[in-house]
Amino acid sequence: MTSSSKNDYGSLKNFTILIAEDFHFMADLLSSMLREFGVGKILLAENGEDAKDLIRYNASGGSDTKPMDIVLTDWLMPQMNGVELLKWIRSSEKDNIRFLPVVLVSAYTSEEVVSVARDNGANEAIVKPVSGKMLADRILHIVNHPRPFIKAPGFFGPDRRRSEREFEGEEKRQSTEQDVKIYNEQL
Amino acid sequence: MSNSKGKIEVYNRVNRLKLKAGLSHTDPNAKLRIDPSTVNKADSIIEKKAEAYPTEVKRVLTALHQNWVKAQSGDRKSVPEIMEKIYHNANQIKDLASTFNYPLMQHFGVSLRDFVEKIDMNKGAHRTIVDAHIDVMWVALNENVHDEGDERAQKLKSLVQKAINKYS
Repeated sequence: MTSSSKNDYGSLKNFTILIAEDFHFMADLLSSMLREFGVGKILLAENGEDAKDLIRYNASGGSDTKPMDIVLTDWLMPQMNGVELLKWIRSSEKDNIRFLPVVLVSAYTSEEVVSVARDNGANEAIVKPVSGKMLADRILHIVNHPRPFIKAPGFFGPDRRRSEREFEGEEKRQSTEQDVKIYNEQL
Repeated sequence: MSNSKGKIEVYNRVNRLKLKAGLSHTDPNAKLRIDPSTVNKADSIIEKKAEAYPTEVKRVLTALHQNWVKAQSGDRKSVPEIMEKIYHNANQIKDLASTFNYPLMQHFGVSLRDFVEKIDMNKGAHRTIVDAHIDVMWVALNENVHDEGDERAQKLKSLVQKAINKYS
């Protein structure tokens, strides 16, 4: 079985993934791995500023543009780093930018990365060194298990709670049902 | 879209990525799969690229070394910009070393990156610490010292640690 030969399992051939990474060697490595998974189009940006330009351009809907599907960004980059890029994406007024799935890639320790990624609205985090399984797992999670987006004071991004388990402790949240506005998108 | 008043907004979006993958966005059992053989192939790309490790580290370390020479001899205004380049060079060495499993080089890459972040260029002692890092990184590369536990590795680590203890 291959991802492209059986429709039951879907395929990544129509996907456009942006890699924001200042280090060409690592960008090339990630790009080659994604190509193995069958990703149709891979765009490269050397830093957050270049990534912003590409995202803006692709979101403009011009005839030669393809909407971006996933952004894979390194944390440490000159000019504009990955966390700043993530904040820019989540603060956009445009739906086709602010809801973009973002994977934050970093060489920092896993606790730091997960905490910063989660609190700034990343969908997933990867701690270097990157492996094929790690990369595949994150992409599959984004596609197969998307979380609702939450807009709360000081936060916009995927729901930080990953499971649906009942909380057995004392409820300390202040919000009531009246405080929550739910948007159910229909096609 | 339907809505009611509130302070917190919850957006349940249509799963466009599933649609793009050629799957039903409403069927919870329809799941994208990536062929495990392509995951193995992706890992073999890392193995193939490992051959390029010495050349790539040499290229980045040369750039780092040249930037360090510039930082010490250039005009003071350009120093912060050059130090930022050194910070990224050190991080790139760390990335290469961690990807291809060279723990000693990884250790020095992280150590130099973190030290450069707080360096005071007016202090000769701080400059000595950077020199020590660059020296041991060249030795680790040229003598292919791989692991942290190796006797030579311990010597190189203690050289840098002594410089840090003495001068920072």
